[in-house]
Amino acid sequence: MGSVNVISQHEFADESLVCPVDLARKGLPANEAEYGFFSDCKQGFRIKYLQGRLVKSLKIVMFATKINLLMPCGPAAIVVNYLTAHHGWVFLLSLLGIIPLAERLGFVTEQLAFFTGPTAGGLLNATFGNATELIISIFALKNGMMRVVQQSLLGSILSNILLVLGCAFFCGGIVFHKGQVFNKSAAVMNSGLLLIAVMGLLSPAVLHYTHTEIHFGKSELVLSRFSSCVMLVIYAFYIVFQLKNHKVTSDHVDEGCNQEESADNDVAEISKWEAVIWLASFAGWIAVLSEYLVNTIEGASIAMKIPIAFISVILLPIVGNAAEHASAITFAMKDKLDISLGVAIGSSTQIAMFGIPFCVVLGWLMGRPMDLNFQLFETAILFITVLVLAFMLQDGSSNYFKGLMLILCYLIVAASFYVHVDPKSNGDKPPPS
Amino acid sequence: MKVDSDGTMEEMDDDFEVEMATLVSSSPASMKTHITGIWGIGSMVDLSSSCSLNRIVRRLLKSIGIVIFQPKINLLLPFGPLAIIFHYLVRKHGFVFFFSLIGIIPLAERLGYLTEQLAFYTGPTVGGLLNATFGNATEMIISLYALQNGMIRVVQQSLLGSILSNMLLVLGCAFFSGGIVHYNKNQVFNKAAAVVNSGLLLMAVMGLMFPTVLHYTHSEVQYGKSEVSLSRFSSCVMLVAYAGYLFFQLRSHHKLYNPINEEEGNNEDDSDEEEVPEITQREAIAWLAVLTVWVSILSGYLVDAIQGASESLNLPVAFISVVLLPIVGNAAEHASAIMFAMKNKLDITLGVAIGSSTQISMFVIPFCVVVGWMMGKDMDLNFQLFETATLFITVLVVAFMLQEGTVNYFKGLMLILCYLIVAASFYVHVDPSANDG
Repeated sequence: MGSVNVISQHEFADESLVCPVDLARKGLPANEAEYGFFSDCKQGFRIKYLQGRLVKSLKIVMFATKINLLMPCGPAAIVVNYLTAHHGWVFLLSLLGIIPLAERLGFVTEQLAFFTGPTAGGLLNATFGNATELIISIFALKNGMMRVVQQSLLGSILSNILLVLGCAFFCGGIVFHKGQVFNKSAAVMNSGLLLIAVMGLLSPAVLHYTHTEIHFGKSELVLSRFSSCVMLVIYAFYIVFQLKNHKVTSDHVDEGCNQEESADNDVAEISKWEAVIWLASFAGWIAVLSEYLVNTIEGASIAMKIPIAFISVILLPIVGNAAEHASAITFAMKDKLDISLGVAIGSSTQIAMFGIPFCVVLGWLMGRPMDLNFQLFETAILFITVLVLAFMLQDGSSNYFKGLMLILCYLIVAASFYVHVDPKSNGDKPPPS
Repeated sequence: MKVDSDGTMEEMDDDFEVEMATLVSSSPASMKTHITGIWGIGSMVDLSSSCSLNRIVRRLLKSIGIVIFQPKINLLLPFGPLAIIFHYLVRKHGFVFFFSLIGIIPLAERLGYLTEQLAFYTGPTVGGLLNATFGNATEMIISLYALQNGMIRVVQQSLLGSILSNMLLVLGCAFFSGGIVHYNKNQVFNKAAAVVNSGLLLMAVMGLMFPTVLHYTHSEVQYGKSEVSLSRFSSCVMLVAYAGYLFFQLRSHHKLYNPINEEEGNNEDDSDEEEVPEITQREAIAWLAVLTVWVSILSGYLVDAIQGASESLNLPVAFISVVLLPIVGNAAEHASAIMFAMKNKLDITLGVAIGSSTQISMFVIPFCVVVGWMMGKDMDLNFQLFETATLFITVLVVAFMLQEGTVNYFKGLMLILCYLIVAASFYVHVDPSANDG
């Protein structure tokens, strides 16, 4: 996969990495340009050149990874939606279709980060890392499905902590029988931050459930909005802190997401403009599919006889986290457990400190009463899980059994959501405007 | 091994006497010495006459001598039959309950000893497995009887109380006694192993808690029924986790497991010397079967007498289940934990206490749920909110406390006092929905 920018001859930086076919294809226009077939041929050349670049770009971006075999599911979902309106199928297909898009989005963000330097790159990674979940949540928010937003974001945290980490520990432990070690202090600090973030998120819920609000129903909304603004400020500081003081950590996380090889090969595979264009197009595609996804949640829940809670907490986050999942497992199997931990816990912290407050603020702007009042069940489970995780990371070692336990705990959580229904099944969809 | 032929029995006796002399108190020792002395001399004479019946009788008596008359705790053995007699004669449930309670204690201890002995013959892997399964055999038998009687709350509370008692009372007494004996310094233990074990326990407890949380947030799809199915699913998952746990411990981490293997019987004080089994394999199995049957019989009387005892003694059933029943099941571990703490082998103590708690939460409780499923009883993981909260807080607090790596008598005292508070709270506790079988 290592190849070089195609643009012109002076960018043939690492010729040793270029494969012969590409070289042959590249060589031709460059030579032509150099020996000057001027005006006419230049036009023709330009179109051909753009075509060549487009094809090459497509090749790198679209056809490079196996997961993109799922790509046709996206258009298939749209087709099925117009043909049959069978919500179950549309839901599943759009779910499958988003997975490769999310992964490619991560890849493209990665690539863009090369051009923007480490600071903005880290910021980019931090923001777009959970872009899929954010986009899905924004659509759900627009539809007024507040519970879906809350549950999918919470499920994303749970899935990161239990499933992704568990799979990473398990696979790494199977490859390295003796157990692996990781940097205890970084992991403990990250989990401590996560715990603080979760604590900040849970206060409105606790307020509500101890029936100690001044204006029942309204105070917690106000409190939620205030807490969200505070959390966003904390998040801003968190980013500054990470980027300024812990360049090493953020470098690890930056290069962690997509490059399988060793760290020193920071070569971008596509140009900056291509990256931006692809980013925009992927984001657009994800947005389109998310709309279908969100619109069909309720229908799918009825058609497949699965509670909405289960769909929101378990199925939606699997989609959003698929890329991080794969990369965490890959890094664990290469004995780079620190990166896996950084990915998993970092993603959870980002959702807790940025994703959820952002949705609350966005809901505020949209006029939706989105608040931080997760139901008691989810709140309790989230708190217990984060506490147990923080405790478990303290000894700095992992083995396959710990991974197995985490995965089994996730199974139990998933099973409990399968038999879970909201106590007051409030139709929180306002009449469609 | 060595006890097979008569020729070597004498040497065995000598070794055996020397080994046991340090641990056994005076009167049984003298009685035993007397017995073995007689056999030692007599065997030479009998060998010539080759009377096999005599040999069997002698071996039986010798076996009884080893198994029954050896430790002091077996002075409590007569209470068992006494309980049965009382049950038929007097019908006072309070006395029957107490006597069967006291009568089970030595049986549980001997059960542990026999498992230990059997482990010599079966090798470390199966031996570890045996220890793991039979370690909590008493609690399991009592729970199964209670389950059969439909006393689901008793089962839940006794198992939960067993975990609480292990973490607070056993650890507290061990730390306290160890701290008193070594009062001039803090005792240290292997932090890494303790942290790993307590992390596993925390995860196991977390897995057990979800059905309760589901129920108490009133968020089930079908009220009352979905938590039962969730509990059954969770139990199967936990049993799989337990299988993984055993596999992990026995295969990958031999070192971690061996000290626990050695400690279960409190008749090896210095584990440096070779561990010599004292009875043959067949004897061990036979005794195991006999004692298990005895424990079952007494448990039957015990469980039947709980309700009556609770009324006549004016104790809530919750208190009996959570505080009194586990004391019985844990008596042997209690004694061995204290002993090892006093010998400054805290790692073994911690292994016993935390390992037993983990086994109960990962094996016994899910096993009871599955057995209840097969019996058609609605046993679920919905421990009441009070016990669940207490359990979680306790495990969390103890897990954090162990992170430091040192203990002293004050920590032990705090743990014991916390247990007293928990016990007191169960004394004044009644189930919100009193639905005992």
